[in-house]
Amino acid sequence: MTDESMTNGTMTKSQRIGEIVETSTTGFVAVSKTLHQPPALGSLVKVQLGGEDYAYGVVAFGTTVSPDPGRRAVPRASDEVYDEAVYARQPQLTRVLHTEFSVVLVGCFEDGSIRQHLPPHPPRLHYDVHECTSDEVRRFSERLVYFRLLLDAQGQVPAEQLLAAHIRQVYRARGHDAAWLERAARQVTSLLRDDYDRMMTVLYGIEP
Amino acid sequence: MARKRLGVVTDGAFNAGLTVRLDPGVSTEEMRIGEFVVVEGEGNRYFSLISDMQLRATDAALLADPPREASPFIAQALRGTTTYATVQVKPMLMMPRGADTDFLVDLEPPQPVRTIPMHFAELHEATESDFGAVFGHEDRTHFAMGKPLTMDIPICINLARLVERSNGVFGQSGTGKSFLVRLLLCGVIESGLAVNLVFDMHDEYAFGKESEDGVFVKGLKHLFGSKLLVYSLDEKAQARGGRGVDVTLQIGLNQIEAEDVLLLAEELNLRATAEANVGLLTDAYGADWLSRFLAMSPTDISAFCEQYGAHEGSLSALQRNLKRIERRPYVVPEAPFSVIDEMVAALDKGQHVILHFGRYDHPLDHMLVANVVTRRVRHLYREKVERYEQTQSPADKPRPLMITIEEAHKFLNPAVSRQTIFGVIARELRKYHVTLTVVDQRPSGIDSEVLSQLGTRITGKLTDERDIEAVLTGVSGRSFLRGTLESLDTREQVLLMGHAVPMPIVVQTRKYDEVFYAALGAGEKRSAQLDIVELFGE
Repeated sequence: MTDESMTNGTMTKSQRIGEIVETSTTGFVAVSKTLHQPPALGSLVKVQLGGEDYAYGVVAFGTTVSPDPGRRAVPRASDEVYDEAVYARQPQLTRVLHTEFSVVLVGCFEDGSIRQHLPPHPPRLHYDVHECTSDEVRRFSERLVYFRLLLDAQGQVPAEQLLAAHIRQVYRARGHDAAWLERAARQVTSLLRDDYDRMMTVLYGIEP
Repeated sequence: MARKRLGVVTDGAFNAGLTVRLDPGVSTEEMRIGEFVVVEGEGNRYFSLISDMQLRATDAALLADPPREASPFIAQALRGTTTYATVQVKPMLMMPRGADTDFLVDLEPPQPVRTIPMHFAELHEATESDFGAVFGHEDRTHFAMGKPLTMDIPICINLARLVERSNGVFGQSGTGKSFLVRLLLCGVIESGLAVNLVFDMHDEYAFGKESEDGVFVKGLKHLFGSKLLVYSLDEKAQARGGRGVDVTLQIGLNQIEAEDVLLLAEELNLRATAEANVGLLTDAYGADWLSRFLAMSPTDISAFCEQYGAHEGSLSALQRNLKRIERRPYVVPEAPFSVIDEMVAALDKGQHVILHFGRYDHPLDHMLVANVVTRRVRHLYREKVERYEQTQSPADKPRPLMITIEEAHKFLNPAVSRQTIFGVIARELRKYHVTLTVVDQRPSGIDSEVLSQLGTRITGKLTDERDIEAVLTGVSGRSFLRGTLESLDTREQVLLMGHAVPMPIVVQTRKYDEVFYAALGAGEKRSAQLDIVELFGE
């Protein structure tokens, strides 16, 4: 695919949402640019691999913690000051907390076409994570081979929940494309045909 | 023409047929047992029939705990993947796959299957050209019997092959047997491939009749006029206006032979000693035995018993019983064979004969008359065949004769089929150019040896296990045809199988109505000139 929108020029227009702080062949962890606002569970993101190549991944987990692994947050609210007011009263909190999200790699853009397999190299540390536009989501989700990679993901969220969340995201990004949803559902039943319970979990999760 | 893909072959055996997994989105409800389908192998195209359907699931848990409140969305997602359907397909004929074209005319005709396709061969709906390739197109020798259940195209039977062998038309009462027979007779008469002798036992074929739907349908006499002669036993029928009876037939006591009487053992309530007594009588009096026996006084009987060592009591009982024959109004002391000989002469000229029983529709009448007439007819045919074999001149070649009898189990049940002339005809096949079309609603009553000789079977719905078994005697692939037979509609659906069709097929029978009459009329004009030549010479 040598589409204009896939070139580097257009890429920079899509929103930067985070920076990679931990990376591996199967996925990476990034810190969100804005506190409390990691990309939605199951949404499609991408990272530049070099040149015009990109890695695609699906957001698999999000958390807001202290950057220092040894420190836990302590309660700061009182009867008068709670929720958003806590942050207004103590602005330093936005400095000592950050929001992380982890991403499962599901494909890459390589040699001018979209591939639904793991990228050859892990994304580089400190590179930016970009949100994918609806158009890119649409193009990437034309084929559904990558559902297998999602189902094999070892994360905090059960794989079938992750898959259901992803399908919901794509369905929305594709403008409630019922034909696509039906195709996705068939792919799910075909992949999970040996595990009726997990299959039904996904199906109930994506039912419009 | 685009073929609709239905599924792929996933399993199979030559004997058991192929298992085809249906594609998602193809429902079993779109298919019918016995439907004609096509499997596209790599090198061959297989014309097949659907013999069974199964519902399957990949996961037993689904079957144990089906999604009770599943939305249409989930049901749709499960359908065709986790739950799916397979159909059993029985290949019947195959032909080499030509280039991707609908012009099958130039290719060799389909052959019986000798192999099966490999995995993932595709199952397709049959197209019009597939039907055409297998069943031929309507012409002089191909007569349209009806159309397949799913398509509006004619299915033809090969009349030339039909008249080669004896045939059977079966079906429960009310499945339209007599209409089927009318159709068949019309086809054969129209084609001129054989002459017909029809024993019209229930007054159904010769003249117009009200059908079960309350429509008045035309009789064959009305459709074919002078091509068809009606002989009637009923002397009053000729007098009745507008019926067009050509000849009133009488049976002479001199024409009744020992075997005719013995065949009527049940109807006449004859004892076991009858056969021996009749034997003695024929030994003593020859052809005149019956009239002389019936004329005997009690003193004559005791004199006869003395002379021949018969038992007086049983002989007078026999005489009492046989008097019933004498009392039939159409039976006369002496009748010349010339009436029947003239009948055969008419058949020779290509005219068809319906023997109309009129008000004499007791089984006694059917069996007595049909036997006497048929025996004479076959005798004459035999002479003709022998002459033909001698001269080998095409002019002497007898026209094939098709004899249609109803209530066939009366003539062909195991107890009597060895004695009746019909049993002989059914067994000796077409050696003497005479074949039978047996019409019956209880095929299980017919001798299995006769059933196995039937070339073409046309059968409506049957439910009795024994009848189904009987109809399928001597047919290959019985187990799967049985399902087809059981699933037929009560009206207007028949299964065609055997010699005259390349493979078994279920058809919706053609309507016997104005359109049909018109189609026949069209053929009539074409062949009228030919008939004049045939009847009266150049």
